[in-house]
Amino acid sequence: MPFDRRFILSVNWSLVALTAMLFGVGVLNLYSASGFRMGDELSMQPFYNRQLIWGLAGLGCLLAMVVFDYKYLAAIAWPMVISTSVLLVLVLVMGKTVGGAKRWLPIGGFAFQPSEVAKIALLLLAAKILSKRSERLGWLDLAGILAVSLPVALLIIVEPDLGTGLNVLLLVAGLILYRGLAGPVFKTLAIAGPILIPCGWFFLKPYQKGRILTLFDPQRDPLGAGYHIIQSQIAIGSGQMWGKGFLEGTQSQLRYLPEKHTDFAVAVFAEEWGFMGGIALLTLFCLFLLQFYVTAKNAKDRFGSYLAAGVFFYFFWQILINMGMVLGIMPVVGIPLPFISYGGSATIVNFTLVGIVVNVSMRRYLFKKG
Amino acid sequence: MRLETETPQQHAPRSGLILLQALVLGLFCLFTLRLWYLQVHKGGTFSDMARDNQLRQVLIGSARGRILDRSGTPLAVSEPSFALGLVREDCEDIDGTLAKVSEWTGVDKHVLSETVKRGKKRVKPFEPLILITDLPYEALARIEANAMLYPGLEIVVRQKRYYPTGALMSHVLGYVAEANEDELEKNPQLSLGDSVGKQGLELTHEDELRGSKGRKQVEVDAFGRQHNEFILEPPRAGADLKLSIDIGLQRECSRLLEGQAGAILVMEPDTGKILSMVSQPSFDNNMFVLGVPADKWRELRDNPRHPIQNRVTQGVYPPGSVFKLLMAAAGLTEGFVRPGDVVACPGSYRVGNRDFHDWKKGGHGSLDLRGALVHSCDIYFYKLGDRMGIDRLHDYAVASGFGARTGIDLPHEKAGLIPSKEWKKKRFGAAWSKGETIIASIGQGYVLTSPLQIGRYLSALVNGGRLMKPELVETEAPRVDATLPLKDGDRQVILDAMVATVESGTAKSLLRSDAVMAGKTGTAQVVKLINPDIRRKTHEMPYEQRDHAWLASWGRKDGKTYVVVCLVEHGGHGGEVSGPLVRKVFEYLFGPAPGKPPRAAGAAPAGTAGEPAVDPGDVGD
Repeated sequence: MPFDRRFILSVNWSLVALTAMLFGVGVLNLYSASGFRMGDELSMQPFYNRQLIWGLAGLGCLLAMVVFDYKYLAAIAWPMVISTSVLLVLVLVMGKTVGGAKRWLPIGGFAFQPSEVAKIALLLLAAKILSKRSERLGWLDLAGILAVSLPVALLIIVEPDLGTGLNVLLLVAGLILYRGLAGPVFKTLAIAGPILIPCGWFFLKPYQKGRILTLFDPQRDPLGAGYHIIQSQIAIGSGQMWGKGFLEGTQSQLRYLPEKHTDFAVAVFAEEWGFMGGIALLTLFCLFLLQFYVTAKNAKDRFGSYLAAGVFFYFFWQILINMGMVLGIMPVVGIPLPFISYGGSATIVNFTLVGIVVNVSMRRYLFKKG
Repeated sequence: MRLETETPQQHAPRSGLILLQALVLGLFCLFTLRLWYLQVHKGGTFSDMARDNQLRQVLIGSARGRILDRSGTPLAVSEPSFALGLVREDCEDIDGTLAKVSEWTGVDKHVLSETVKRGKKRVKPFEPLILITDLPYEALARIEANAMLYPGLEIVVRQKRYYPTGALMSHVLGYVAEANEDELEKNPQLSLGDSVGKQGLELTHEDELRGSKGRKQVEVDAFGRQHNEFILEPPRAGADLKLSIDIGLQRECSRLLEGQAGAILVMEPDTGKILSMVSQPSFDNNMFVLGVPADKWRELRDNPRHPIQNRVTQGVYPPGSVFKLLMAAAGLTEGFVRPGDVVACPGSYRVGNRDFHDWKKGGHGSLDLRGALVHSCDIYFYKLGDRMGIDRLHDYAVASGFGARTGIDLPHEKAGLIPSKEWKKKRFGAAWSKGETIIASIGQGYVLTSPLQIGRYLSALVNGGRLMKPELVETEAPRVDATLPLKDGDRQVILDAMVATVESGTAKSLLRSDAVMAGKTGTAQVVKLINPDIRRKTHEMPYEQRDHAWLASWGRKDGKTYVVVCLVEHGGHGGEVSGPLVRKVFEYLFGPAPGKPPRAAGAAPAGTAGEPAVDPGDVGD
């Protein structure tokens, strides 16, 4: 199908604008998070400018995602899942260990995280499989989708990258719920879930248990797992109504805040912009998420709708888990906040997924040949 | 060309769309509430916490004041000491670095590793963890040259107390050492690792010497790195302490007593200022500054000659015949004797069914008070004491400053003892016996005095009857603590007798033609002789059974008067041993004596044929 200029008119421009705004806020905030004061001087670590470069690369990926019809994505879903799974195994065997986790494959002087691609692959595949179901999901459907996604998620979790693995599983679970479960299945799971979840406790590593326990009582380990939670809450809380002002966050500038340019970047924001800033950012995120809802609702076919819903869940879980962690209502799991946390691969993936949804939105009309 | 849309719900499951909206709404509500709670509801609390996080009050150390002698010679100074610290955060290879440090300094690597292990809990990774305190100079040079290659090593400069005069002044100065738990708790000014005075003037003048720390507010980040500083209060350096001690005299007195156990005290009677305070044997107080190893400490503590004790203030001994000065004063004041009264001395005195002998076989014949002092006649004072009774004697002695601390600003001063009937009842639950009065009246038995008390009493006799507070600090104004209960005329009788004692009595060795010299010797018995009739020569007795030799003296030349008290433990007879020493002290004070000394200086060598020929008048006291 030739590229029709009328597609441009159909683009979900709100989504593009919101993405740009979020990314802008993120870079601005990283500028602040990169700084740390030494006396009167503000020294800079080069995070924000690197993030800008990643953003430009991401923009390229976004554009690349709109030039073809998204139906081809369904075609490459399986090959992608299989090849990324192979790469994931390779990482475990010969990957580069950074900070005790094997997540990177060195490719020509470039560290590549297969798990990032696996996320996209699995999203495409889940959207493809689920969009073929015209009925609510029965046991068999459920088993099928889990049989595909569980192994991939486990491969990521053993890296160990609990955050990404969890995100993948939740994304699939979200899509399953989006499709809807058949009555008996839903009832059974609704009853079994609360019983099964505590069993998962035994599969957690001690440090992960610690994090969950610490959530309920940060003072349990004030210099270990609790330290992050306590310092993050002090940073956010001390922002009060109007914040301390840009570059004025003492918690972050004096490095009390851990991981301030990655997982806890939003705490820097809340400290410097206060409750008002926090609500503004939250509103941006909610409007951003609603664009996926709008696109999912108006897609011209099921696959498009499921793609948009998948991307919705992808971002939704990250926002929920990251902000929940930073605000001290969820355990510390290393999940970044889209567009706000520094991260090369994540930025590229985020833009790519937005691109896919833009693609769905601009091709929401069927053109009658006439 | 027409655009046609399909009905949207056709492809999107309705329940799914509702789910998405509900999730967005839930997300918004949840985080809005949480942000409200953290930032608005509890914002104030967290603001305070953030401020506490970053602003820390840090104490700024103040330089400890120096201690100087009267002419400004430093006796205690603070000098930089170099310690080797390890900043763990900057160190890539702790093990390898420690191995190198061990190679440079010769300190066992295991010891260093232990230090690091212990310090890990208390020292932040960004702060230097002290591996070795007080680096020797050559090690310092070696490390300085190589430290560049081993990141994380840091030379830390600290203040360390140093006593240039070492053992010479240890008893007076005391020493500083690291504050212990108690001291840290008592004094909020102190922080861990600070030194405080533990003994001597360093302890009693701690507050002046230490000065006060300043405070600064420091902005600190999570690693303990300091960013901004703001001085809230500058530190106030400790004040220098100028002593009345003359270090040259101190050195001389110390040399004179070398190899002996004893004490020499030199005072200015008019002011109570102390020019020299020597106690031998001594110890080097420098070794306490960095902490004494347990075995060294035990060695000092258990040394039978007690090097740590300051014999001038903490050594209490029977004063022996020196006490007769007080007895004379008491007799004259209380009206028991007049200077001209002649008392017979037949050589022994019977009390109850017991005979008390004079030290001189056959006695002194008849003596007045002056003669009794000059020749140190025991019988005269037996009789006087017997008439007075112990309680009167006690009251008079206490009024003259005995049996109580002098109040000198040195810690742990001993009060000595003047017995009384009441005291004996309390102490032994027994009644006082007359015989004990007899013994006490020649300064034996229960009577105990410190050289400092003797020095103070003698100063009061010389200066017109003012009991001065003994003072080591030059800048302190002289303080009169009490007045002797003694009429000037009576006082003069005693002083004259002391002068005569030098001219013709037991302290002849002090005689010099260019100065008025006066003295009173004393021999304090250490062991009760089994048979008092058999008197052995000093050198025939084992050291620890020999008597203590006292000499309390004063001299005046060109309007300058000094009091010198000398005690030699187990030195035998006062005049023999202490006399030559005190003579030397006065030679330092007044210059060499013109003409030939009346007798060879030096203590009687033990058991040689060359014993100085002493006339009987010299032997006793």
